[in-house]
Amino acid sequence: MLEVDAITTRYGAITALHEASLEVRAGEMVALVGPNGAGKTTLLNTVAGLLRPAAGSVRFDGNDITGREPARLVRAGLALVPEHRRIFKDLTVEENLRLGGCTASAADRRIRLDEAAELFPVLGSKWTTSAGFLSGGEAQQLAVARALMSNPRLLLLDEPTLGLAPTMVDVVFDLLQRLREQGRTLLVVEQNATRALALADRAYLLRTGRIIATGTGAELAADTSLFDSFIGGES
Amino acid sequence: MGGFSVGLVRFTRSMLASAALVAVVATLAMAYTSGGGASRQSLIAEMLSNFILVLGMQVFIGNTGVLSFGHVAFAQIAAYATAVVGIPLAAKAKALPDIPFGLESIHYGPLGATLFAVLVTVIIGGIFGIAVSRASGLAPTMITLAALFVVEQLVKNWKELTRGAGGLSGIPRLEGNGWLWVGAFVALLIAHFFQETRIGRFAIATREDELAAPALGIRLFSSRWAAWTLSMGLIALGGSLRAQSLGSVNPKQFTLDSGILILVMLVVGGMRSISGAVLGTVLITAGNELFRQLGDPQRLDVERFPDLFLGGTMLLVMLLRPGGLLGDRDLASWIRRRTYRRPPQSGETPQQGVSTLVATEIEVRFGGFVALDGAGLTVRPGEVVGLIGPNGAGKTTLFNVITGIVHEQGGRVTLGEQDLSESKPVEIARAGLARTFQNLRLFKNLSVRENVALMALVAARHRPHRVRPDADTLLDDAGLTQWADRPAGTLDYGNQRRLELARAAALAPDFLLLDEPTSGMSDQESLAMVESVRSVAARVGAGVLVIDHDLGFITRISDHIVVLNEGRILAEGTPAEVRSNPLVAAAYLGSSA
Amino acid sequence: MTKLIQTIVDGLGVGSTYALLALGISLIFGVMHLVNFAHGELITVGAYTSYFFFLHGGSWWWMPLVIIGSAVLASVATELIAFRWVRNSSPFTLLLTSFALERLSHAVWQIAVSPKQRAFPKPAWVFNQFKIASVSFEVMDVVTIAVTALTLALTAVIFKRTLFGISVRGAAEDFDAARLMGVRANRVISGAFAFAGFLAGVAATLILMRSPAAEPSMGSDWLLKAVIAAVIGGLGSFSGAVVGGLVLGLLETLTRAYLPEVAVGWDKFSTAIVFVLIAVFFVVRPDGIFKVSHAERV
Repeated sequence: MLEVDAITTRYGAITALHEASLEVRAGEMVALVGPNGAGKTTLLNTVAGLLRPAAGSVRFDGNDITGREPARLVRAGLALVPEHRRIFKDLTVEENLRLGGCTASAADRRIRLDEAAELFPVLGSKWTTSAGFLSGGEAQQLAVARALMSNPRLLLLDEPTLGLAPTMVDVVFDLLQRLREQGRTLLVVEQNATRALALADRAYLLRTGRIIATGTGAELAADTSLFDSFIGGES
Repeated sequence: MGGFSVGLVRFTRSMLASAALVAVVATLAMAYTSGGGASRQSLIAEMLSNFILVLGMQVFIGNTGVLSFGHVAFAQIAAYATAVVGIPLAAKAKALPDIPFGLESIHYGPLGATLFAVLVTVIIGGIFGIAVSRASGLAPTMITLAALFVVEQLVKNWKELTRGAGGLSGIPRLEGNGWLWVGAFVALLIAHFFQETRIGRFAIATREDELAAPALGIRLFSSRWAAWTLSMGLIALGGSLRAQSLGSVNPKQFTLDSGILILVMLVVGGMRSISGAVLGTVLITAGNELFRQLGDPQRLDVERFPDLFLGGTMLLVMLLRPGGLLGDRDLASWIRRRTYRRPPQSGETPQQGVSTLVATEIEVRFGGFVALDGAGLTVRPGEVVGLIGPNGAGKTTLFNVITGIVHEQGGRVTLGEQDLSESKPVEIARAGLARTFQNLRLFKNLSVRENVALMALVAARHRPHRVRPDADTLLDDAGLTQWADRPAGTLDYGNQRRLELARAAALAPDFLLLDEPTSGMSDQESLAMVESVRSVAARVGAGVLVIDHDLGFITRISDHIVVLNEGRILAEGTPAEVRSNPLVAAAYLGSSA
Repeated sequence: MTKLIQTIVDGLGVGSTYALLALGISLIFGVMHLVNFAHGELITVGAYTSYFFFLHGGSWWWMPLVIIGSAVLASVATELIAFRWVRNSSPFTLLLTSFALERLSHAVWQIAVSPKQRAFPKPAWVFNQFKIASVSFEVMDVVTIAVTALTLALTAVIFKRTLFGISVRGAAEDFDAARLMGVRANRVISGAFAFAGFLAGVAATLILMRSPAAEPSMGSDWLLKAVIAAVIGGLGSFSGAVVGGLVLGLLETLTRAYLPEVAVGWDKFSTAIVFVLIAVFFVVRPDGIFKVSHAERV
């Protein structure tokens, strides 16, 4: 479904990604793990169209989407739940969701709003609350629900458990599992490598802008030198 | 004495640059006036007083980056001040019978009137400048706009002093443009020299990065206020000379319209460059006059085509070259580069500081979220301590607490005997903690050398007890000598990081606080960075506290590592101990469900 | 007491106009971080359009639509020809661009029409008065307050209920996050400019009903006050802009009405006093009454 082919992305003088490649097949959950500053967010942002790569290409369902406006990608069925969630704090829960569904028809939007309330009962109880008052876990659920409003076939999630208490982390991983069961394809960047690898079909390890390892979730999880790979090099 | 000869060199440079610019303009002016009559002379007179006004604005706007629309209000104050003491007593008594402040018996000649006007304006403007320099964001611009309104109202309504809408005439007119040329030269000289002074250079640093400058020991308020007050002097000179050139003053003279005209002159050439200001003035005065000729003299006394020219020019410049035609290019900086001589080295060996940096039981809460829950650490003199932990652990928050950017709800930070818990970033830098930034905050438009030299200036006054290597030595250490004259923003990434390091070291600190110095670097570059940090720290005898996500870098460089997780210390010890600690691995990789 | 009521009504009337203009300025600031000094020119556009239409047989029954329409078109045009191209530049550049447009606008009207004022008829009922319990009111005052209240209500509905309004508010808070939702950047910004044009058009109608004349630089005075009102209330805050406008209007009329009674001879300085107060305000509360949160990452 998604093919990232040797993309190199720069921020001013920094080269954040060096010819990184990965692949996500329909129905899979792929995890992207690695130490901080590795470029995981850069990679997702490049795929989602917020950043334009200096080289390489991104293909979605065979179509070249490199550097396209995010708005167009949403309409094509690709949605990103950004790092730090970036919910609209000045808007209510409902308004956040409606905005998430802005590319859909009014009828579809109404249906999906009801679905969201069902899938996320805690949001349903805070429909008219300003999103700024939500707790970390609730905000994360809102961010995911908001992205689901466009009914994406491929959902990108950037560090969904960042800053959440352990019980909420459980909730998020349950949510990811349920999304998989719904048949959605997921590409997840995760801090918590252990749990992500346990859940994922396949995974990639990113370090200083380069993919240095790939395999099934089980393979990478079993790799005892994983922490060393995080650290990199020998003393 | 060293200081005096340095001052003399700087003064000479300013003289050279000013003289050269005046010569060029004078040549153009002579060519222009040789062909025509009195009207051409008065255009030159107008241009010259414009020069002084533009330079007045340049000294503030160009050096601080704060936009002011209201400068001309102070030119108006100066103009009227000139009028009330310059008009002969008899005529004054007739025009202003009820003049207050005992001014009915005061009369000065041209020089006296000018000095009086400058003095009055500098005092009033200086007081006003306190508000401008304290405020941040859009507020200073609004405040200067307020000044425009206030002065306009005062001039129109305080009839005893100003004769209201009719204005005042009868100011003894200047003969020829001689004094205007002198005024222009003096203004150029002052504008150039200011950029060479300590406080002028500090103002420029605050323009480049409003956050980094105070974090490295440069006070925002004092440098801005100095620039403002000096600009008041120049703008007063311009206003006063214009009044004496025209022989009259009136309320319509220095309004927002003329303020914008002067601003366009400044911006077209490039507000950061004095040569640019001169170029802009010449071009706009010429263009303005050209378009004025195109207009119909029969119609009302409004400028139609000149407005078109002004608006159009400003729009084009903003769309195509927002930095102005010359950008940062300046005759004065060219001269500075050509005449740079490396000062003699002191040859002293650096010694380590004696103070220990201690943070104890730090608590920070952002609303309901607990960022730090009793975390603390110690850095001994000359020691390198690495601070690591997963994302969201609170490392940057702890850093920001130590450097004074974030205030803690509990705990203390001490450096030796000094308690830094309540101190502001400026004070903390001056006390001996110099930092770098995660997002790299260099003074991009300034040269590589100037970035470092600025901090050396701060250190000279606030860290006299420490050995202070000069800028060039630090540049050598960091391997940046070949780019010393280039703008800092043009360096490649690794070198920019090293420059930030050298800049922090130039403060002669007790401790270098580095915030993710290898962020975005490859493994090779990180390795090189280890060497750079070690040699720079050794050069100034500083200890190091460094945050980084590159654990390879951290393990190589640190004597001691502190691991933070969820706002608390998880583990600490030597690199080997930390590496093999299963708790640390678990924190990074995450625990299973 | 009568005087107080009348002064307050006056103040609300003037303040309403400021509020509408300030709202437009805050709106554009919210989506673009631009303080649009060319916003006042939309009033000028409305004025000259009215003048033109009245020359060819116009009537105040439909003139408001013309005025509002012309303001909307002009506002969208400024975005297309100038602001779009400097969208990601420094605040300095944005500000100066808006100034350049203001200058150009002045010049165009001077050349195309005349530097002199051009007047046209006003509606017959404007200065009619009526009394309520010994206090006399002008019809225009009532109309101004009522129209403004309606417009503000309409604005609130649009921004709370419609997808367009929600998109604008979302984009104002986090532009990139809005893009990730599928919001099209250009549309949101053009839409914001169009709506700001609408607000300016309503304000222009109210202004022109009272003093129906077109003059090249008429927009500037209104603009300055509107900017200050928007900044008092906190740039980007809707309620702030409204409160700022009303406060400014009341402050102006109250000082004009009462300061002469407090100190003889100070009435001349009422405008100046207002601005001094504002300057003091900025030193004390640089972010305005209603703080709009910004995060700065170090």
